[in-house]
Amino acid sequence: MRLLADFSTIGMTVAFSIFIGLGFGYYLDHKVFGGRTTPVFTMVFLGFGIFAGFLNLYRLAIRKDL
Amino acid sequence: MEHPILFISIILEALGLPVPHGLVGDSVLAKLVSPHMTYTWLVMAFLIIVPKLTLGKMEMVPGKGQNFWEAVIGGLEGFMGDNMGKEGARMMFPMLATFALYILVANMIGLIPGFMSPTSNLNITLAMTLIVFVTTHILGIKFHGVGYIKHFLGPIPALIPLMLPIELISHFARILSLSIRLFGNIMAKETLLGILFLLAGAYFAPLPILCLGVLVSIVQALVFLLLSILYFSAAMEHAH
Repeated sequence: MRLLADFSTIGMTVAFSIFIGLGFGYYLDHKVFGGRTTPVFTMVFLGFGIFAGFLNLYRLAIRKDL
Repeated sequence: MEHPILFISIILEALGLPVPHGLVGDSVLAKLVSPHMTYTWLVMAFLIIVPKLTLGKMEMVPGKGQNFWEAVIGGLEGFMGDNMGKEGARMMFPMLATFALYILVANMIGLIPGFMSPTSNLNITLAMTLIVFVTTHILGIKFHGVGYIKHFLGPIPALIPLMLPIELISHFARILSLSIRLFGNIMAKETLLGILFLLAGAYFAPLPILCLGVLVSIVQALVFLLLSILYFSAAMEHAH
């Protein structure tokens, strides 16, 4: 049961992390700074999002109790 | 798509209330009588009235009704105790047991023709998920005080500017994945049942999906409960 919960979460976590990062970066670029910094923040936060997704995947992969 | 027949909406419409034909209405009254709200109230009434009727008066030697409810509540408490320890289970039991029973009944009610699952609306699942999310951080602050921020900073001080946004992003991804999983599963079940009833309802085409729907309802209620338990216990334990 616990494994079902973990493994059904991890795929969505990777996808949502990337899109949250991308969306926040896009918001910073276009709404806060008015498009002057495009595409710096979008790319930086896209990187953060990808890293967050794969960090969660890595944490699941190195768990000892599986 | 064909508009489903929801008997509470029909009764309310006959009473002259502005029941919306989409998911959410325009005015406040139309929002209050939209289908997912009325069926939420139905589930709440079910959960309040049915235990009252079946429980009878509490006795030392339990009768049939009391035995059943003791098994349900005892099973839930044992399940929570296994996953987050006795102390945490006793503290968080009222909230999490409410969620589990509500989601279970709300998922199951959509299998009956003329009813719909309130959980097939994203607003309901998102509301529950936000409650879980806020409670997680309140618990973290209650158990660790200001030191709770160490959960977000990672092990190495030099990497803090990198780790802080990453941890925040993964906490927000939890909200999305918890709410959209429940919503997506139940919505898929409802839509599939509706289409199959429309196409070949007379030849029992929805029957296998109804059987799967029972399984999906139980599994999704348990998964929501279990993930909330895991988030709570992660907020209560020490930073890694």
